[in-house]
Amino acid sequence: MIKNIIDVRNLSKSFDISYKEPGIKGTINHFFKRQTKSLKVIKDISFEIKEGEIVGFLGANGAGKTTILKMLCGLIYPSEGSILVSGYLPYKRKENFLKNITLIMGQKQQLIWDLPPIESFYLNASIYDLDKYEAKKRIKKLSEMLEIDDELFIPVRKLSLGQRMKSELLAALIHEPTILFLDEPTLGLDINAQRNLRKFLKKYNKETNATICLTSHYMKDITSLCKRVICVHNGTISYDGELDLLLKKLSPVKEILIVCQSEDDANKIEKSSYTIKNKTKNEITIIVKNNNIISSLRTILNNFDIEDLYIIEPPIDEIIGKILINKDYDI
Amino acid sequence: MNTRKYLNVYKNFLHTSLASELEYKTNILIDLLTAILSLIGSIFLLSIFFQSNSSIGGWEFKQALIIQGIYTILNGITNTWFNPNLTEIVKHIREGTLDFVLLKPIDSQFFISLKKITPSGFLEIMLGVCLLIYCIKINQIDLNLGFVILSLITIICSIFILYSLWFFISTTTIWFVKTWNATEVLRSFLYIGRFPLNSFSFSLRIFFSVFIPIAFITTIPSEVFLGISQLWKILLEVLVAIVFLFTSRKFWLFALKFYTSASS
Amino acid sequence: MISNLINRKILTLLKVQYSNMLEYRVEIALWAISGIIPFFMLNIWTNNNLNESINISDIELSRYFLCAFFVRQFSVVWVVFSFEEDSLLGKVSPYLIQPLNPFFRYFAQHLAEQITRFPFAIIIAFFFFIFNPESLWIPNLGILLLSIISTFFSFLIQFLIQSIVACLCFWTEKASSIERLLFIPTLFLSGLLAPVVSFPEYIKSWIYLTPFPYMIDFPANLLSGNSTNVSGGISMQILWIVLLFPLFKKIWSEGTKKYTAMGS
Repeated sequence: MIKNIIDVRNLSKSFDISYKEPGIKGTINHFFKRQTKSLKVIKDISFEIKEGEIVGFLGANGAGKTTILKMLCGLIYPSEGSILVSGYLPYKRKENFLKNITLIMGQKQQLIWDLPPIESFYLNASIYDLDKYEAKKRIKKLSEMLEIDDELFIPVRKLSLGQRMKSELLAALIHEPTILFLDEPTLGLDINAQRNLRKFLKKYNKETNATICLTSHYMKDITSLCKRVICVHNGTISYDGELDLLLKKLSPVKEILIVCQSEDDANKIEKSSYTIKNKTKNEITIIVKNNNIISSLRTILNNFDIEDLYIIEPPIDEIIGKILINKDYDI
Repeated sequence: MNTRKYLNVYKNFLHTSLASELEYKTNILIDLLTAILSLIGSIFLLSIFFQSNSSIGGWEFKQALIIQGIYTILNGITNTWFNPNLTEIVKHIREGTLDFVLLKPIDSQFFISLKKITPSGFLEIMLGVCLLIYCIKINQIDLNLGFVILSLITIICSIFILYSLWFFISTTTIWFVKTWNATEVLRSFLYIGRFPLNSFSFSLRIFFSVFIPIAFITTIPSEVFLGISQLWKILLEVLVAIVFLFTSRKFWLFALKFYTSASS
Repeated sequence: MISNLINRKILTLLKVQYSNMLEYRVEIALWAISGIIPFFMLNIWTNNNLNESINISDIELSRYFLCAFFVRQFSVVWVVFSFEEDSLLGKVSPYLIQPLNPFFRYFAQHLAEQITRFPFAIIIAFFFFIFNPESLWIPNLGILLLSIISTFFSFLIQFLIQSIVACLCFWTEKASSIERLLFIPTLFLSGLLAPVVSFPEYIKSWIYLTPFPYMIDFPANLLSGNSTNVSGGISMQILWIVLLFPLFKKIWSEGTKKYTAMGS
């Protein structure tokens, strides 16, 4: 039986936030006595993650995903409940625990800016107690996987964003951690770089069976990498299970974009019983349940003069966003 | 504590930091010029004080020069090790990269304190050493083993006390990100270290020995140099150094606890 | 109408910056404390009766240093550090697009901080008078107003000089080292550590050709009621402002030209 590598029970976290009343009076009061109130950002959550899983934490900004991730790393001290990662209490940050994990944060760098990445790699290697020979081996292996070579010898400030990202990854993985924590890793990356990162993570997980936990508000990260998704909403878990199941649970619908020959026809369609998504002049988009598509199409084609027709799978973000969380997602 | 690992890591720190810094050669020159001018200015000020008195607080001009020399060395050490790392920690807090430091399997205080080095500070240390050598000559100081050992002990204690003060300020960046104010306070108080402790009135003497041991840091090693120090003062300095080191570490660990409970 | 527009902009900037400043109350308090060097210098002077040689009484000297403290509090400038930090963070580009020279922003910031600092300065002065009751005096209204104007001029001079140095950020990354270099003559020659009247003749002969004595020495002497050439001093201050302002504008436009040509 594969054991749980991450075990979270009844975890809660509260922060004390100082707040200020607006206006001059508030400013002066704030100067003399700060008022604080306690904000519970994580409310009694529990979950388990098995070794080798890739789990995505999905949620809108401010939902609490980063806080959960940081508590798993040991960077934030939990208020209540228990966390066990690889059998360790993360917040104690024991050396053997730290040697087994890595944290990668989108748009935050740990490479030394003025020097080539290779220098940062050797520095990290010494911090993680790897001898030079071992380090060289791992750098070679990882650079092949990441498809970077000469870039490692050029100062970081001169590299492109994509090359920098790859170098950051290498630096973060040189000690071959068994658990990877990624916080918004694709933030600020272009489409190519995003795709490369996902490709790499999939390969890395396959070859090393490393457990990967990532947070993102980009759906594509989650759909391309994670079989399992944990949806975080306002500090609680609103869904924890397979992504496929989640999508199946939601009403499977498709959008049909109808380009009518006349605006009249479009108006008539608008007045009929279909759910309308939007309409401009002679184009109208309707939402139809999957099992009604054939009959709807037949009706429309029979009764109206259609110039063109598109059947669109609505973006997954919209589905999840609308139904589960009632907030907007970034695409 | 694996000393071999820490030595190895420090070797890497030195290597990466020097490589980065040597990219900015003009900076090194400007910093050296600043150190020289600062020394000249202080000696100029000292000469104004001494223009009609031959001794202040029991110190003659050529004896007061020793304090200038030790101050310059200590200032050089501050500029070499303490300042660049203070800037680094401010950057970490501001950019949110302190987390990376905390997740490395290495003592965070070691990492934070020693990661960077500013080579121009070495030149300032040399400047101070040259001045000291000159002072040894004009004061006709007798160099014997006991003298060398004692002066080394006191200077090392001074370095520890200075380090603790700087590290204390660095730690406060976890609460107040804009620390150049705090460093300005420390810098202003440190300036007092250029003058003999006895030139101040009694109450200030106490203040500068107990609360902010600035004059302590420079005066006691200078007294050792001149052979006029007393054993209890040296022991006191050693005690103060140990207390300060211990407290600064405790404070750092406390700050980390705060950081991990309060940040998001 | 244009002056109305500028007034409104400045007022709004001031209001925003003032709010900002109140956020950082501890830092402001620290800043005020860091200006405390003059009092320590005073202590050295009076404790060792050094003032006898230059025919200044204890009381006159105390008043001088207290006034030096005040003048320093309200004329200290740190714009080069703000500008360097902003340019490293990439904040300068959006400022350049706005129809307002970013240095106005820093100017408002400085004024706001001075206003915030005022209560702390008064508290420090209060303690000063408790320890030195014989120095207590109230300057007459005319002198007070003139000193305020003179201090403001001193602030303008220092602000312009530092802004010119800050513009060097467009050509080099480490303009703050140049500022640290420039700070040395400011520290020693401005009268912060010793009144200019105590300097040897060979220095006094050329020092009044530089802007330094007009930064602290002149306004402090004016405020403390020591004999000084009022009209001569004020006119020299105005002269320096008139010289520095176009120089600043020129370097600023050259700098922005270079900046926008190269891209950020």
